[in-house]
Amino acid sequence: MKKTVGIMAAFAAVSLVLSGCAASTDAEPAETVAETATETATADTGSILAAVQEAGVVRCGTRDALPGFAVLQEDGSHVGFDSDFCRAIAAAVLGDAEAVEMVDLETADRFTALQSGSIDVLVRNTTWTASRDGGEAATFIQTNFYDGQGMMVETASGYDSVSDMNGAVVCVAKGTTTEGNAALESSRLGLGWEVRPFDDTDLLQEAFLAGQCDGWSSDVSQLTGFRSAYPDGADSLVILPEVFSKEPLGPAVLDGDTEWAQVVNWAILATIQAEEFGITSANVDSFLTSEDVTIQRFLGVEITTDEGSAVLDPGLGLPTDFAYQIVSQVGNYGEIFERHLSPLGLERGVNALWTDGGLMYAPPFR
Amino acid sequence: MSPLVRVPAKTPLWRDVRVLKWVFQLAVLGLFLGIIAWLYNNYQVNIAKSKIPTGLEFLDNPASFTMPGNDFNQSSPVWSAFVQGFYNTLRISIVGTILAISLGTLVGMARLSKNFLVRMVAGAYVEVIRNLPLLVLLTFMNLAVVLQTFPRIEDAWKPLDLFVVSNRGIAIPWFEGSGTILLSVLAGALLLAVVIAWIRGKYSDRTGKPARGLLYGAVAFIVVTLGAWLTLGYQWTLPFVEDRGTLGGLRLDPSFFALLVTLVIYTSSHIAEIVRGSILAVPKGQGEAADALALSGPKKMRLVILPQAFRIALPAIGNQSLNLLKNSSLGAAISYFELTQIAQITVGNGSPAVPAFTLTLLVYLSISLATSIVINVFNRRLALVER
Repeated sequence: MKKTVGIMAAFAAVSLVLSGCAASTDAEPAETVAETATETATADTGSILAAVQEAGVVRCGTRDALPGFAVLQEDGSHVGFDSDFCRAIAAAVLGDAEAVEMVDLETADRFTALQSGSIDVLVRNTTWTASRDGGEAATFIQTNFYDGQGMMVETASGYDSVSDMNGAVVCVAKGTTTEGNAALESSRLGLGWEVRPFDDTDLLQEAFLAGQCDGWSSDVSQLTGFRSAYPDGADSLVILPEVFSKEPLGPAVLDGDTEWAQVVNWAILATIQAEEFGITSANVDSFLTSEDVTIQRFLGVEITTDEGSAVLDPGLGLPTDFAYQIVSQVGNYGEIFERHLSPLGLERGVNALWTDGGLMYAPPFR
Repeated sequence: MSPLVRVPAKTPLWRDVRVLKWVFQLAVLGLFLGIIAWLYNNYQVNIAKSKIPTGLEFLDNPASFTMPGNDFNQSSPVWSAFVQGFYNTLRISIVGTILAISLGTLVGMARLSKNFLVRMVAGAYVEVIRNLPLLVLLTFMNLAVVLQTFPRIEDAWKPLDLFVVSNRGIAIPWFEGSGTILLSVLAGALLLAVVIAWIRGKYSDRTGKPARGLLYGAVAFIVVTLGAWLTLGYQWTLPFVEDRGTLGGLRLDPSFFALLVTLVIYTSSHIAEIVRGSILAVPKGQGEAADALALSGPKKMRLVILPQAFRIALPAIGNQSLNLLKNSSLGAAISYFELTQIAQITVGNGSPAVPAFTLTLLVYLSISLATSIVINVFNRRLALVER
């Protein structure tokens, strides 16, 4: 009896001590929460811009094997249209186009990477849609490429139009808007397609080569890229004339940081404005002495008058010469397009400047 | 009290093993709970900070994609895609487990064969397959066997005009009519067969006459299915090539085929070793006793060795069937529409990643735990009652 009482007393004592412990273990995380919360708050007011400037590098979410847009090279660098826009952002923010860390992302991971803060900006052929703007905590900004979904078939298949493809097997990349568009087009035209998604485009190409698919559906720009690199030769494939979706592709940043969104937005817009002015990476230095005030403002040149000198600082949080840095180190929109997309056989089309009847239009720099 | 008996001094609390055991256990528990609470708090804070959506509202959105081989369409809600994925995971797991156990048992017995060639072939099979990474095996099966060895749909193989084999799938003759009715007829017939076999077993226990449960059960099964066949008017349909695919019969998706074959050969190579080990683990005296009763070789195996080996093998084989279920998630790599694939696709189509994958995780967990419970119940019933 005595023993039992002893044990029970000991137990009570122990549980008292432990509950004390438990209370303190409970309290500690609470403090950490408070701390982290204040840190977050300061980080929020400091914006991603401040974090990027401090780190001295822009972390850009991209991909590794999309001909024309972003291709990983043997030396570890990335070459392509999207990669150049990553560089343009770095040139604007840090004055150095090479201060970019390219982060290769799978399609299904891209928004999670953005949400979790492991990248600063997503430039990865991502279609701007309402539910991505709303549900993925992403803010889409200036579209840098207006695309649409099309269909590629073997030349030997004899298909002339999408509506010929009755009961066809249509292969697409997994986890993109492409799947839904293909399904929609099939039911709209009553064609009963079987839409087969593939983990990545290399596997898709294998299946296409082996004849598992009748059609390869994706954004026309991507199809053009894959066609140009097709093992059997580009002539064995043909892209059908129909375009059955709108795919505005552009960079996206995390919701709730307007300052950073504006910075990225104006970095893209600067490439478009530069093309409109006719400023290229080759001739940008000659424009530094231009008498045209709009060009002086754009390039951040000091405007000297009798009253003294002034320079336009739009207050974006960027260096005043950010447009100069972008154009001199990366080039204007047309240059970037010609460097990466024209070799694939892509026309400017709707991606021409508004002055040429296209959609590329930048608000004034003043 | 005799002065010769030494009264032990009362042990102080801090040296009392019973107390100390409690203290340490509770301290470890407290530490563990503390760590969990800390991690959960971190999760909450980080989720709030990074604006990752955590609700399940996305389940009611339209899925906006389609799946081959069923009437799920792009207007169906996301939850119905998960249901379909759950169904497909179960389908491949059940068919795969049955085939893997059958093949594995055969190979395991072959490894103990007295025939040198059989023994060596079975040994080579086990050693080669067991030592390959599953994902590599699966990718190979898909790229080399399904895509390259199987013909294009234009030149599809049509053995006996009963099957259509191409790299767009394998179509086999099948029944026309409702799959649900068919399944219920088969399930009913199977249940009846089991009950009859059980009754025969009881009868045999009572009278000592041979049970022949398998024979009686099989007859009952065949009679019921044939009867249903004739009364319900089922018909065969043969597959044929139409447009760019096949119509009629039952079409097995190429990715289903590749995944099934890979899972079956991979899991069977593991089961074969379990079966071999379990047969060897049956006490030698049991075999000698069977010999003493002058039982023939097959009878000795069937009546004496295998039932006891099965008892030993059951927990390990159950484990393998769970492995097969979990490995079926690799089907996502070759686009078989099982749970993981569905999770990936819905995330790609706008569903938030963390809740979608948490849901997937919980579904796998519940299937696995349910399977474990069934296996444990079986195991408890079969285990030797030792005193």
